[in-house]
Amino acid sequence: MRLTARESLVPVLRTLPWRALAAGGGLGLLLAGLLRWATGEFGGWPALTLLRTAALAYALTLTFVLDDPARHTVSTVPTRRALRTGLRLVLVTPATALWWMAVVLLVPSSLRPPVADVTLEAAAACAVALAAGALATRLTDEPRPGPSVAAAYLLTAVLTPLLPHRWALFVWPADKGWEAAHERWAWVLVGALVALALCMREPIRRRRAPIGRRPGTFAPSGGTPSGGV
Amino acid sequence: MSAVLERTPVAARTGPPGASWAAVLALALFEARRLLLRIPVLAAFALYVTWIVWRTPLLENGYPVLQDADRATQSGPLLIGLAVLVCVNQAVLRSRRRDTERHFAVLVLRPWQRTAAHALSAAPSALLVAVCVGAQYGWSALRPDAVGSGSPAELLVGPLTVLLAAAFGVLLARLFASVLAAPLTIVLLLFLSFGVAVPDASEERGVRWLLPVVSENAQQAIPSQLIDRPAAWHALYLLGLVLTLTLLAVLASGGRGRLLLGTVAGALALTLTSGITQTATLPDATTAARARATDAPQKEQTCVRRGGTTYCAFPEWMPRVGTWASVVDHVRSLTGGTVRERPLLVRQRVYATGGLTADGAIDPSATPGQVTVGTGWGGPRVPEFSAAVASVLVAGSERATVGVCDGRMVTTMWLALSWQPDPVKSLRAVRLDDSVTGSAIVLTPTNPLQMTAGQTYVVRQLLGKPRESVAAKVKAHWAELTAPNVTSAQAAELLGVKAPKEADKCD
Repeated sequence: MRLTARESLVPVLRTLPWRALAAGGGLGLLLAGLLRWATGEFGGWPALTLLRTAALAYALTLTFVLDDPARHTVSTVPTRRALRTGLRLVLVTPATALWWMAVVLLVPSSLRPPVADVTLEAAAACAVALAAGALATRLTDEPRPGPSVAAAYLLTAVLTPLLPHRWALFVWPADKGWEAAHERWAWVLVGALVALALCMREPIRRRRAPIGRRPGTFAPSGGTPSGGV
Repeated sequence: MSAVLERTPVAARTGPPGASWAAVLALALFEARRLLLRIPVLAAFALYVTWIVWRTPLLENGYPVLQDADRATQSGPLLIGLAVLVCVNQAVLRSRRRDTERHFAVLVLRPWQRTAAHALSAAPSALLVAVCVGAQYGWSALRPDAVGSGSPAELLVGPLTVLLAAAFGVLLARLFASVLAAPLTIVLLLFLSFGVAVPDASEERGVRWLLPVVSENAQQAIPSQLIDRPAAWHALYLLGLVLTLTLLAVLASGGRGRLLLGTVAGALALTLTSGITQTATLPDATTAARARATDAPQKEQTCVRRGGTTYCAFPEWMPRVGTWASVVDHVRSLTGGTVRERPLLVRQRVYATGGLTADGAIDPSATPGQVTVGTGWGGPRVPEFSAAVASVLVAGSERATVGVCDGRMVTTMWLALSWQPDPVKSLRAVRLDDSVTGSAIVLTPTNPLQMTAGQTYVVRQLLGKPRESVAAKVKAHWAELTAPNVTSAQAAELLGVKAPKEADKCD
């Protein structure tokens, strides 16, 4: 039996990692709130750094959103993977938008960097996180690639500020390159959304198992020797 | 027919007493291999090695001072540490995620032993970082142009940072059973390190030494005995921190026993002792030695005579004398009159009063025939020293060159630049704004010189002509060219090039 979107809504809602999302989103809210109320007016902390940190923390939790422990069980049911993934995204997006609005509003308006541009950055960061999760699911057999994706995402995020000036993404509003950087952010967002759309389907034909992944070998601390953990 | 067990079997240790530690080691080795093959760790190592290969040859313009080269190895391993932290954390939590935790109950390893094995699993990564650090430092140290001496304690910081990251990752996993805890903690730490100014960053000692990597915004190299960073205490502090965090993780996973508690207390004591000792105020002896090196360097230096020139430098820089001598000889060979044989004293001077981060100017020397050379070399430092030598040969002393704004600048700059392989490139390097036309400030090791647009115009013309023909004219008209108040137009006329339109006028 193929489930409709409405019938799948509640089960999908229950499988979403709400606690992780709350932790990641809570970090940004907590920082913004603490700074606002504890120090009066941010005590010299650049609001842009705060917003970027909040977006990064939240995006890290989004890398876990497409994890599906039941993946191998449900890959054969008629309800398509694209529908389940789509439902997850539909459920997460409004929550994300609400959370981002709250974080932005916590920053005093006099210190707030250009909201539209920073929102573009945050949207691109979130889209890249989701696309990375979808890509990992599409390319591997792993039901829960979240931790690996999060590690790779974090490493990328730490290295991005080191990009040469020509491709810089993290610039300051006073910088001449602010406009150009946000054009690049827009391209990142578009690229991530396209990748996400392309990776929605369950891979029908499995690629050949890589060498070394033989059934029956066990690792002392669980898992398969070469499986992504 | 099958027999029914009437009693629950009692757990009994059958292997030899050392068997469980052998198992810890086996698990550590297995986890170490997995850790090194994780994609984030592999990527971090690839980037780290690329960074080493790319940056190290550029260190200090290719003339490294080893007491700075040792500190240059400390920031790269932070990237490895980051990857190791996340991956070790995930490795500890793997059995929980895979729901294999209960299978381990039947194994010889107890939870705290598994924790210890995970902490140990970072050792090969740290060793690999140590090899990279050694290669990076060795690359600088083996250069023929290297001077000074590095500190082994500074080199240990890189590998210890990786171990510290692993210990922190293990502890986080034992405190929060979620793979999200480690990345979020890193984000928080990044925010704190970017957002907050490091406490008391202006202080040389103090609480900033509690951070794992203590960098210096060094303006110039200073003799190694004047640096006085508590590097050995800091390495001990990091070691103590690694042990404390690891043992706390072991405690958190159920390790008990008097020996363990005693070790925790020992590690904590080590961390506190070394942590507090390293933040103690700078000894007065160091401050006095720095002041002495700045104000009266002749007491600390050794001298050597080459040709008509005496070179006095801090003992660590004596291997550079040959390089300096080649510059002095080149400039001298282009001069005329009695200057060719006039004795010169090249003295190394450094502003060391405030330590590494101090950015103070050195006053021009009033002693006739004394030229100052700094602690750096290579790149723009060569034409800067060349300009200083030329200006002293032309004007008599460094003090006498202050405010010179006449035709003598033309001779000075031609002497300084014409012998260099690419004079126009050197002209660009020696000028503050990197220009080759118009007026500009010319840097030297002490006071800057000033070039007007007209003087630049004349010098550019001279640099375009064959060196021998100009040299002959310089030698022939040496007395007129170096007379005070000779104008640039007169100098241009004497040297056979077009005179500038405007008169000499400096701001």
